[in-house]
Amino acid sequence: MFVLNGKTRLNLIGIMSLILISGYSVNSRATETTSCTPLGPLTFGILPFISAEQLVNRFTPFAQYLHKHLKVPVRIETAPNFLQFANRTRDQQRYDILFTAPHLFPQASKAGYRLIAGVNSPGMRAIFVTPKNSHIHTLSDLKDKRLATVQPMSLASLMIKKHLNDNGLKPDVDVTLVITPTHDASLLSSSLGITDASSLMRPPYEAASQALRDSMRIIAETETAPHMPISVSPRISTKCETEITALLLKMDVIPEGKAVLKHNRFAGFKHADEKDYQRVRDLLRE
Amino acid sequence: MLHKSIPILHSLRFRLIASVVTIEIIMLSILVLNNISIIHTTHTDRLRDTASSILQQIANTSGRHMVAVDYATLEAYLSNTLHYNELAYIVITDRDDRTVISLGEAPKQKAEIDTHPKQVKDGIFDVTDDITVADQFMGRVWMGFSLSIMHDAILTSRNRGITIALIEIILTILVTVIIGLGLTRRLALLSSAAAQVEAGNYSVSIPTEKNDEISQTATAFNRMVAEVDNQTQQLKKAEAQSSKLLKENRQLIHTSLEVQEQERKYLARELHDEMGQCLTAIQADAELIRDNSHGNSQLQTSAEAIINVSSRVYDVVHSMMHRLRPSILDNLGLVEAIKEEIVGFENRNPNILCECKCSADLNNLDERTGISLYRIMQECLTNISKHAAATEVCIELSNTDKIILLRVSDNGSGFDVDTPVRGLGLIGMRERVSSLGGELLLKTEPHKGLIININVPLHTLEQTQKVKT
Repeated sequence: MFVLNGKTRLNLIGIMSLILISGYSVNSRATETTSCTPLGPLTFGILPFISAEQLVNRFTPFAQYLHKHLKVPVRIETAPNFLQFANRTRDQQRYDILFTAPHLFPQASKAGYRLIAGVNSPGMRAIFVTPKNSHIHTLSDLKDKRLATVQPMSLASLMIKKHLNDNGLKPDVDVTLVITPTHDASLLSSSLGITDASSLMRPPYEAASQALRDSMRIIAETETAPHMPISVSPRISTKCETEITALLLKMDVIPEGKAVLKHNRFAGFKHADEKDYQRVRDLLRE
Repeated sequence: MLHKSIPILHSLRFRLIASVVTIEIIMLSILVLNNISIIHTTHTDRLRDTASSILQQIANTSGRHMVAVDYATLEAYLSNTLHYNELAYIVITDRDDRTVISLGEAPKQKAEIDTHPKQVKDGIFDVTDDITVADQFMGRVWMGFSLSIMHDAILTSRNRGITIALIEIILTILVTVIIGLGLTRRLALLSSAAAQVEAGNYSVSIPTEKNDEISQTATAFNRMVAEVDNQTQQLKKAEAQSSKLLKENRQLIHTSLEVQEQERKYLARELHDEMGQCLTAIQADAELIRDNSHGNSQLQTSAEAIINVSSRVYDVVHSMMHRLRPSILDNLGLVEAIKEEIVGFENRNPNILCECKCSADLNNLDERTGISLYRIMQECLTNISKHAAATEVCIELSNTDKIILLRVSDNGSGFDVDTPVRGLGLIGMRERVSSLGGELLLKTEPHKGLIININVPLHTLEQTQKVKT
């Protein structure tokens, strides 16, 4: 039989106490919740402005950041195209957290989505590019040429059409528009000689490889539009909305948030005003 | 013939060919079994790889549709994939494990996943994989591949393989048998030639057109047969010469014996006619001198001495005459001569009881047969007296119309017939019997006595004279 002396007995008590404390600590962490937790998994709806693979790759750290702090799984989801994304937003309120185009937000707002933040950016511009060896140097040179563009419902497409109109070129009359699924696809179309020129948003162009950009020439640029807003669905409680907003706004402050923003190529998030997005819609409606 | 007497199972050719055929059948069977195993493994591995490939392809392709919740497009795409023959079903589940697409004959409950078609028990090879995009779980694809097509393919391949193997085995057996028979044909020739040599035909020769082991054996065989033939011829010559010499020797012996008997007979007659007459005359003159001595005692004594000496000489001469040619044989015949000889034998050997069973009727027996049998009987008794140490002797003489039987038996020491006998008595008896055209048989063992059986053809005096005439 073992006989415990006084010192050994004290050590055992200490070890047992540590085990109990650590167990409590682990348990308390496991049961830690936020106001979003009861809502169950949150669907993070992102406009399909890039391919699904790129989208998931790009926004996964963002979703993980939200998951970590909201204590609820955050699932990235998109739609086959802008139209379906907009319809699912409007008809089903399918996405709990919505990251959509500025011109599509007013429609979402009508469906009950509440604006919580916008990308902290001076704004977005669409650009017209051609290969450097092309004879197209100005917008007027595009007459009777083939111009690659993105989906018709995209902000870029709308801004490009408006800019062409403003410069005396009627889309699909003076310039043949060739629709491509993404901004990258549009850029590659003229690079590969499929079209004479390409139109796309500036951020995706900046994200393209240096070699590709070196082979291209920007011939025109549209007006500036506000960057993409983030909103929440009517299902999200106010408390949860507040927590999400706080998490977004402090991202450019805390190191963890900075890392996510760097991966997403965003500067940060700021408070947004619904009027700004309504103004974009009105502008494009013209 | 030798080659006919060999059972087929013991035939070297049969065993050689059968061994090769058996080995080939075993090897081909192993090959077929191995091929069947390879066919099975190949098909199952092919299905596994195909399933893995399709699964991977669908999992990769489905990712963007799952992210975009574009199930209609995904279903259209998967419907095309479902046209693949072996694919039984495709099920796509989302991140919450809810079935969003179900095509084909999907099981009602989630199937147990198989790692290899060999482990399948329900006829469907069930596989699954995660659908991920940028390492993010987007759902799961479940697929089932029916094994029936694979089993049909395996069965077809197996049947084809077995058919080819059977044809191959049959052809191999035929070719092996034909080649084996061709190669071992010369072995059969060798065997046949050996059989002919065994039967005494030394003229046989085996072709040696090739320079291989069998041809070398055949060459050696031919040389051996030629040598045996040569040796056999020489032996036959030597045997013929020996037979001729033996015959001549026997003839010489027989002639010598006859001459001897004639000489003995002549001497006996001369002794009787000349010496007997002279001695009788001497004795008569001596008696006349004695009777006319008239008291002259000296003359009377001398005459008595002459009478006594002449009488003794006469007895000696008479005895010699008897030994040379017993007169009783010529006067009373063989039976009486034998009886008289037995009486003389008993007188000389009082310790030996001699019995005579002479029932033969041989009054008209020719002289040569009679004197020969008499001399044989004399030699037998002499041998018994000298060597047998017997206490009982029996002499039997009988005859039929054609043969005379003489049997002399004793209870003496006997001898080993395989031990060479130094004396010439037995040889002389054999030759006498042989000269008569008869047969002499000995039956003896050490310490168990001796029986001599002699049978000779019965030749009457008339027959002999007719032959001489």
